[in-house]
Amino acid sequence: MGPIIPLFEISEEINLLIAFLIGLGFGFALEQAGFSSSRKLAGMFYGYDITVLKVFFTAAITAMLGLLFMNYLGMIDMSIVYVNEYFMSSAIVGGVIMGAGFIIGGFCPGTSVCAAAIGKIDAMYFIGGSLIGILLFGQTYPLWEHLHNAQQLGSLKLSDTLGLPDGLLGLIVIVAAVGMFWIGEMAEKRFKREDISKEI
Amino acid sequence: MKIRFVLSIVLVCLGLVAAILPQRQNSSMELDAKQLLNEIQLENYMISVDEMANALINNDPEYQLIDVRSEEAFKAYSLPGALNIPFEKLFDEAWAPYIDQVARKNVFYSNGTTLASEVWMLTRQKGFKNNYILRGGLNNWYATVLDPKEPVATDGEEAFFDYRARLGMKQFFTGEGTPASTSNVKAKKPVPRRKKKMVAGGCS
Repeated sequence: MGPIIPLFEISEEINLLIAFLIGLGFGFALEQAGFSSSRKLAGMFYGYDITVLKVFFTAAITAMLGLLFMNYLGMIDMSIVYVNEYFMSSAIVGGVIMGAGFIIGGFCPGTSVCAAAIGKIDAMYFIGGSLIGILLFGQTYPLWEHLHNAQQLGSLKLSDTLGLPDGLLGLIVIVAAVGMFWIGEMAEKRFKREDISKEI
Repeated sequence: MKIRFVLSIVLVCLGLVAAILPQRQNSSMELDAKQLLNEIQLENYMISVDEMANALINNDPEYQLIDVRSEEAFKAYSLPGALNIPFEKLFDEAWAPYIDQVARKNVFYSNGTTLASEVWMLTRQKGFKNNYILRGGLNNWYATVLDPKEPVATDGEEAFFDYRARLGMKQFFTGEGTPASTSNVKAKKPVPRRKKKMVAGGCS
């Protein structure tokens, strides 16, 4: 029964090795989806390209359906699957900073590494900027410590918070995603720009 | 356009199936009857009274004694440092961090072994590790540590070693009496013998 590798049963080194292998696959998939182009990423903001939305929601739905069905078939023990802890204030503040950085710089942290790997200079500057930001945050951490740790809500699941069964919430997410895909494609037509894929 | 319709419908259908399926909670930790039988046959979930007494004397922090009898019985007599988790309160939320943990060895005890074994089986089936039972329970504790029987002369040497160790334990736990001398045999004195002659001659 899954998870295949429970987190607490392997050493930190093996854990990092597995993360490295999954990371290689993730980077490859990002690059294949065209995420190393900041124009494609910014397209999500201006509405002329919703690849970002499609890729991330498809990934989420695939993983979600996989877990739901595997759980039903008795193939995974969800009680020992790691759920990220939720810190409400830092999630909101971090989300705003991340969103602003995304549209200003044209990358998110993952895609910037991806783009730098294929030799994009703007992505290298972006990484430099993130590193400076990390350094500043680390050096001034006592100032942010309170905000950083405030409103810790633990390992929350949306379905538990809303009191809905996991499957029903899954259906709602799928319907919402499909709706967004259709609306997004309509937007793509409306805000259409010239094909820039040959320039990049 | 057509493929988009088909994909959308397939996705929503999958979602519908997921929503209709009953929710279930799997637990990879729980043992089935066969696995439990294996563990019981191994008998390595027992801790002997001597081992436990030694651990208590040495203040060994690895062991945590847990009294699974009723509160009254616990108040009347309990082993030093023991926690009282009455049988019926075993799965109370408050006790969960004590019985499902990885840091220490929990040693369950009751008067005999029946109650402690039941508790051990319940916790083991739940998948909790690091739980043990005191072999023979309090009855054995009394018979072995508090009131050790002197071995007869035909018993092996080990029985005498154990007996002397148990007298020490008894003294530790009850504070009464120093251990009596267990042997009248006088220490042997060396018999004078002639010294071996040094090797002489040759190349030395």
